[in-house]
Amino acid sequence: MSKGMRKYFKKKIFWFIITFVAAVILNFLLPRLMPGDPVNAIVGKNVSPGASPEQVQEQIAFYQHQFGLDKSIFGQFFDFVVNAFKGTFGVSYSQYPRTVADIIGSGIWWTLALQIPAILVGWLLGNLLGAVAAYRRGIWDKVLMPVSLFMSAIPAFGAAVILLVIFAVNLGWAPVNGAYDPGMIPAFNWNFISSVISHYQLPFWSIVLISIGGQAVGMRSMSIYELNADYVKYSRFLGIKDGKIVRYVFRNAMLPQVTGLAMSIGSSVGGALVAETIFSYPGLGTAMYNAIVSSDYPVISACTLIITLMVLIASFMLDIIYAFIDPRVKAAQFD
Amino acid sequence: MKNTLKNVFHSPRFLVGFIIFMVILLTVLIYPYFVTRDPLLSLGKGFLAPGTYLSVYDANNAPTYRMELPEAAINRLESAIPTEDRQVMLDFLKVKGADVSGVSTANDSLDDLLALWKANYDEADVKASKYQGFSTQAQRNKLRRLNTSILASEQASAMSLSKGEGDAVAVSDTDYIKVNEVANAVSLPLGTDNFGRDTLTELVKATGVSLIIGLIAGTVATLLGLVVGLLAGYVGGIVDDILMFIANLFTVIPGFVLLILIYYSVGQAARGITTCALVIGFTSWVWTARSVRSQVISLRNRDHVNLSKLSGHSLFRIVLTDILPYIASYVVMAFILQVSSGILAEAQLSLLGLGPKTTDVPTLGLMMNWAKLFGAYTSSNAWWAYFPVIGVIALISFSLNLMNTGLDQVFNPALRD
Amino acid sequence: MGKIMLEVNQLTTKYVTRANEDVYAVDHVSLKIEEGKSLGIAGESGCGKSTLALSLIGYYFPPLHYMSGDIIIDGKNISGLDPDTVRKSVLGTDVAYIPQAAMNALNPTRKVYKFIEDVIHAHGLDMTNKDIYDMAHKRFEEVGLPEEALLKHSVELSGGMRQRVVIAISTILNPKVLIADEPSSALDVTSQKMVIKMMREMMDKGMVKSMIFITHELPLLYNVTDDIMVMYAGQIVEKGTAKQMVFDPVHPYSRGLMRSILVPEAGTRDVKLTAIPGTPPNLKHPPAGCRFADRCKYAVPACKVNAMPIMEFEDNREYRCGHSVQHLREVYEHEDRAE
Repeated sequence: MSKGMRKYFKKKIFWFIITFVAAVILNFLLPRLMPGDPVNAIVGKNVSPGASPEQVQEQIAFYQHQFGLDKSIFGQFFDFVVNAFKGTFGVSYSQYPRTVADIIGSGIWWTLALQIPAILVGWLLGNLLGAVAAYRRGIWDKVLMPVSLFMSAIPAFGAAVILLVIFAVNLGWAPVNGAYDPGMIPAFNWNFISSVISHYQLPFWSIVLISIGGQAVGMRSMSIYELNADYVKYSRFLGIKDGKIVRYVFRNAMLPQVTGLAMSIGSSVGGALVAETIFSYPGLGTAMYNAIVSSDYPVISACTLIITLMVLIASFMLDIIYAFIDPRVKAAQFD
Repeated sequence: MKNTLKNVFHSPRFLVGFIIFMVILLTVLIYPYFVTRDPLLSLGKGFLAPGTYLSVYDANNAPTYRMELPEAAINRLESAIPTEDRQVMLDFLKVKGADVSGVSTANDSLDDLLALWKANYDEADVKASKYQGFSTQAQRNKLRRLNTSILASEQASAMSLSKGEGDAVAVSDTDYIKVNEVANAVSLPLGTDNFGRDTLTELVKATGVSLIIGLIAGTVATLLGLVVGLLAGYVGGIVDDILMFIANLFTVIPGFVLLILIYYSVGQAARGITTCALVIGFTSWVWTARSVRSQVISLRNRDHVNLSKLSGHSLFRIVLTDILPYIASYVVMAFILQVSSGILAEAQLSLLGLGPKTTDVPTLGLMMNWAKLFGAYTSSNAWWAYFPVIGVIALISFSLNLMNTGLDQVFNPALRD
Repeated sequence: MGKIMLEVNQLTTKYVTRANEDVYAVDHVSLKIEEGKSLGIAGESGCGKSTLALSLIGYYFPPLHYMSGDIIIDGKNISGLDPDTVRKSVLGTDVAYIPQAAMNALNPTRKVYKFIEDVIHAHGLDMTNKDIYDMAHKRFEEVGLPEEALLKHSVELSGGMRQRVVIAISTILNPKVLIADEPSSALDVTSQKMVIKMMREMMDKGMVKSMIFITHELPLLYNVTDDIMVMYAGQIVEKGTAKQMVFDPVHPYSRGLMRSILVPEAGTRDVKLTAIPGTPPNLKHPPAGCRFADRCKYAVPACKVNAMPIMEFEDNREYRCGHSVQHLREVYEHEDRAE
């Protein structure tokens, strides 16, 4: 490992840690700035109608102690960090006494299983279309590009709603909401799996659809830029076959798109949140939405923390991988 | 400058985008002069499908004209027996064992269908639930109702309606009224939403408000990004490190999450249009700052900048005269993108119920939110309440994106074909 | 007289612009190069010299199109061959090219030896990758390049190194004609000298049989090439040996060009730097008469009407002008005395 390389990694790791710490603090602090006292809300729900003011006070004190809200803000932060390291993230306010880890644990796998394949498929298809448009030009380009541009202009929820209305409500090809038939008990059998698959289609394609457009537009400009590069002409004059040159070009155009992948993981969180709420998909997005509606700080904090962490790790890893697979970055960063 | 503008307008992409955007903008500006009604005025209850609505009472009082349309009778029949009913008729005929080959639910085979029906329908048999598949009470009633309405529309008999005070006047099937002679007729090209508001008027108003939100958010984001980018890029050193650290934070915590957090902590009461726009602007400046910074870094060691430095010009002056003009085109493009993403961000927030808390003005996002809450996608299937909204959002960002790629092609020759 | 390596007869090629207009950037150009000789082509930017370089390769793709004429390399006429034959059996072996922007001529994400493998395989030569590596290694050694340059990506090499790697790759199949388009213009003086030295050595060692060197820096041509040709608006306006062209240019444009760029250097005359006013004509609609007439201070009305053919006036010297050589020389002598 060269000196430049070591310096590059050190710098990356340093920023990774600093950003992580700051993100943890922000994640703790911001939801607590929200107005509305969650304890009052819980007590209001749980206390019997005839309870005396003293009893109510007692209940409030009980819950405040349970949630650690009677401690100073630093004490609360300490608890937050300890709970985060323990992996429990404390107790949910709105679904007391369920732990946050439980709520998140039940949602995160749905979200990951939905998002990661959808983002990858969207990224691949988008890049393929962009590359073809750049290489073929002509009709491909003239039709494909405005269409892609228009597709990327359709908001995430718009695509989701249109798919929902066409395929679920009107054609009845796919279920309207949920991740599996509500009458079923999750089990590893064909009925359940087929139900999951049919519920999976619409949210999946709605995410794929919106990511294709943006990726295609980006890949097209990148490819056109590369097609005009001097090495293309030079390679031609050395007698290298067109097919080989096209492979050079698309490899080179594709590499910077890898960072686009990190970005799309980051930005997809918002889009997925919307897709999940529209399809009532029981993922992290829905959990977060419910938590926001009920001022459930611990759940919000944990959700945003996990999302942040996912983005942080994804972009860190992509940075590192990118530096290895793209000599241009290697040359620029390591020396 | 003049030349640049000319080039910009020669770019077909920019031109198409610009025209679409101007059409939207002009509609927003001019429409209120034609329809002066309050966009949030409730005209009725629940979703009404698009169309022109006539007051029955006033229609009754409108002068009548005699016309004999040759296709009047068949039109009446066609509209009296909808496709679902024709399907039921077909099903019945099949059960009964009639020869239904060549007969369908289409308009042109309605005559055959009716003839078959009249030949085969037998009230007594139906009552005795002789037919398989039509054995429940509801199914039997359905068949009987169907038969009654077929007979009624076939006869096209004159109905008696009360006109004026107690006089009964026969209404003939050749009587017509003029739509604009009916005292109360309202045209709802996009129907009404769940509150019974005229969707089109509401949509135009919402587009205007969303454009303002986009404009404010875009301005805030661009200005913030520009200032941060200029400072970080030109001053460099520790200022650069700190600013870029903040920018990194904003990148790593997805903007949308931050938006939700900040937005919620602002509190419901304070969430008006302006706050909404400001918060969106405040969370989306990062990429503008990054790109401005990298451009400034490539500029700051150019000869003309060095010359200015040697001449002892102030930082402010150097930035204003030697740096800004070189990144101006870029900043304009960034601004356009920011406006478009600001409009989108508002729509997404509102959809999640985190939009501006207002009862005076609609926004595109609020309209989506209402449509979602009141089941326009699913139970009501009221496409007019959400589809035009999605269309408008897509058109606005499409036009802005087009303008942007047009500008990009003008200013970055490498992308030209 | 040595063996003729390259003979070009009346070559005409055109560009088709996006507006579908034809631009005849190379207009009936003829030239000859013997084995072991080098030819310089000079002219201001936009005179068609880079297009000539591309046209000589015989491998055309849009927007450049072949119109007419012959390119004969070592007795083989390549102008009528189909593109794939040209690609496989002409490019790299008969004629090789060093591009203007040699700095960026290599694919940044492919290691140099991998790229050389691609070049060899593209010609269908029966060599294993190990053979290729050994051959490339030997060649790199011969031209004074380190082995590690083979193992790196082009972005990891310095500018001068990249330039020399490109030259080594271009000549790896021992081409009969090497066309270099301003190969040194982006380099500092030291790297420039190294590049020129390298190219001369390659000719001496027989790795390259003949060379065409295109540049706007005339002093460079004087030092490097045997003959010089001056181009203007897609046509050749004068031809001669390097010495004749620098010290005794005949065509008014050549004279202006020599005088405007010539810098005081050992062995050259101390002349004032005079630029030629005006710009070359638009080749979409070339003028009917002499193409230089609009900028020529010796032009008479007839010049704008009559197109001039290129004429031989001394052994191996040609020019294209309405005035006689004698008249021009007298005028120049008169001018020089007046200075």
